[in-house]
Amino acid sequence: MGGEVVVVEGLVKRFKDVVAVNGVSFVVRRGEIYGLLGPNGAGKTTTIHVLTTLLKPTSGRVYVAGHDVLKEPDEVRRKIGIVFQDPSLDNQLTAYDNMYVHGRLYGLRGDSLRRKIMELLEFVDLREFAHKQVKNFSGGMRRRLEIARSLLQEPEILFLDEPTIGLDPQTRAKIWDYIVSIKKEKNVTIIMTTHYMDEAEELCDRISIMDKGRIIAEGTADELKSILGSDVVYVRFRNNEGSEIPCIESSVVVKCGRVKDDMLELVVRDAASAIPEIFDAAGRLGLKIVEVSYRRPTLNEVFIHLTGKELRDSLEEAPVIARMGRRW
Amino acid sequence: MNGFLTMTYRQLKRFVNARSRLMMSIINPIIWLVFFGLGWSNVFNFPGARMIFGGLDYLTYLASGMVAMTIMMGSFISGVSVIWDKQFGFLKETLVAPVSRAEVILGRAFGDSLVTVFQGAVILFLMYFIAPNINLVGAAPALFYGLLLSMGFTSFGITLSLKLSSSEGFQMIVNLITMPLLFMSGVFYPIDNMPDWMKAVAYVNPMTYAVDGMRYWLTGVSRFDPLIDVGVLTVLTLVLAVLAVRVYSRATIED
Repeated sequence: MGGEVVVVEGLVKRFKDVVAVNGVSFVVRRGEIYGLLGPNGAGKTTTIHVLTTLLKPTSGRVYVAGHDVLKEPDEVRRKIGIVFQDPSLDNQLTAYDNMYVHGRLYGLRGDSLRRKIMELLEFVDLREFAHKQVKNFSGGMRRRLEIARSLLQEPEILFLDEPTIGLDPQTRAKIWDYIVSIKKEKNVTIIMTTHYMDEAEELCDRISIMDKGRIIAEGTADELKSILGSDVVYVRFRNNEGSEIPCIESSVVVKCGRVKDDMLELVVRDAASAIPEIFDAAGRLGLKIVEVSYRRPTLNEVFIHLTGKELRDSLEEAPVIARMGRRW
Repeated sequence: MNGFLTMTYRQLKRFVNARSRLMMSIINPIIWLVFFGLGWSNVFNFPGARMIFGGLDYLTYLASGMVAMTIMMGSFISGVSVIWDKQFGFLKETLVAPVSRAEVILGRAFGDSLVTVFQGAVILFLMYFIAPNINLVGAAPALFYGLLLSMGFTSFGITLSLKLSSSEGFQMIVNLITMPLLFMSGVFYPIDNMPDWMKAVAYVNPMTYAVDGMRYWLTGVSRFDPLIDVGVLTVLTLVLAVLAVRVYSRATIED
């Protein structure tokens, strides 16, 4: 245990006129699950593509498993496994043949390869479908097969790019189980990207929140949530004049921030007892409250706090970069 | 050799799993031979007509060229599988594997070439029933010329599809290239009777030498020395293979 298996320093990746990754630095330690969390177009997939030698960095340094991705790409390739965001299976081959071709490309052969393939197909519950063609597989089965395939060469580091995107809730839960047991049983360092908060919170030991090509916060889920303190109350006011809503001063409000023109974000110790106080304080300022909601802080609140927008709303805001990162 | 053999295996396995491809590749040359060949063979039925075709009757002349045509068309088309691999993501899988890119692409071209030559062999066998003057004993060396031709044009097809992103565009360009190359190769009529500018193209067309060499082994008639055929074919195929290797070695997912 211990030791840094991935070091990224000042990574920049520019596509023609779009900067997809803009100065990202982080370190991943051996044996942990490290998550890149952010909306589509944040630069997560591009970062993964640079780390897996599929794209060359514009500037910055990237070491994976002790090797520079620019100088020794083959050494890096030997030590990593990848599950891409988009499927990368050969539909015209059987599950077994997909595994077999992959194993041979990684220099495995003979009986030990055959045994390993069956073991891994067993691990992802696909053993009975070993000799069926992949074109008849469901989305979840394909995902599981790709996970099994990526483990064939016993990678030191496993990259999972949006491992549960487009899957139904039961299948997602199942993929989560596999990811947890990969970490436990096979002692593999995992780097994953996701735009699902619950996924990052459930699986990742440490999380980087990415937005617009930058890492805007990093830490464990608890550390990230402690940025906000305790409960968070959102109050929307009627704003006739379009003027700025003043912050509410009260003994119960720990911190007050403006999320939108007509909405305040109030950090309080206990929402239930603080809300009546907030109403009183608003009344004293002559403000009309239209809507109140409160949440225990989740990573979503952290994201709103850091960027001023909801994670799920960000889809439309960066369509150019989103398409750039997923051209295949 | 890992990358080479693995990709050869993959291309063969894909063919075995999609056997309907065989039917498609066989129907086209049969149609040409039956409707085009039988029709013209009656036109070229006058005394002295055989002189035009090196002493062969037209059906035999055309049939020996059809095998090369099957292999050429099949080779170009197999390049399109690279575009499918781009779209279905399998190309990424090969780009990130720790094997030599040259091996991967040559293994792939070789696997596809074996498939195409097999299709050529099936056609050759069927041609025998329509044009029984074909000499089946020469089939093995003839198919070796076919394999060289196939390696060349498969490499070219792969290079094209690495540069293109849609299969529609690929089909269009292939049609644009293959038809003229076919007509300027001696499949349908001898190159000596062509206008000079067509002759010039025919001399650098790999297809010309494949057709000529295969015709020599299948009928005993040829325009060039069969050793010259195999030599020129080898050189042209090497050039096309090196081109494919260079393009693929530089491929990233940005293309």
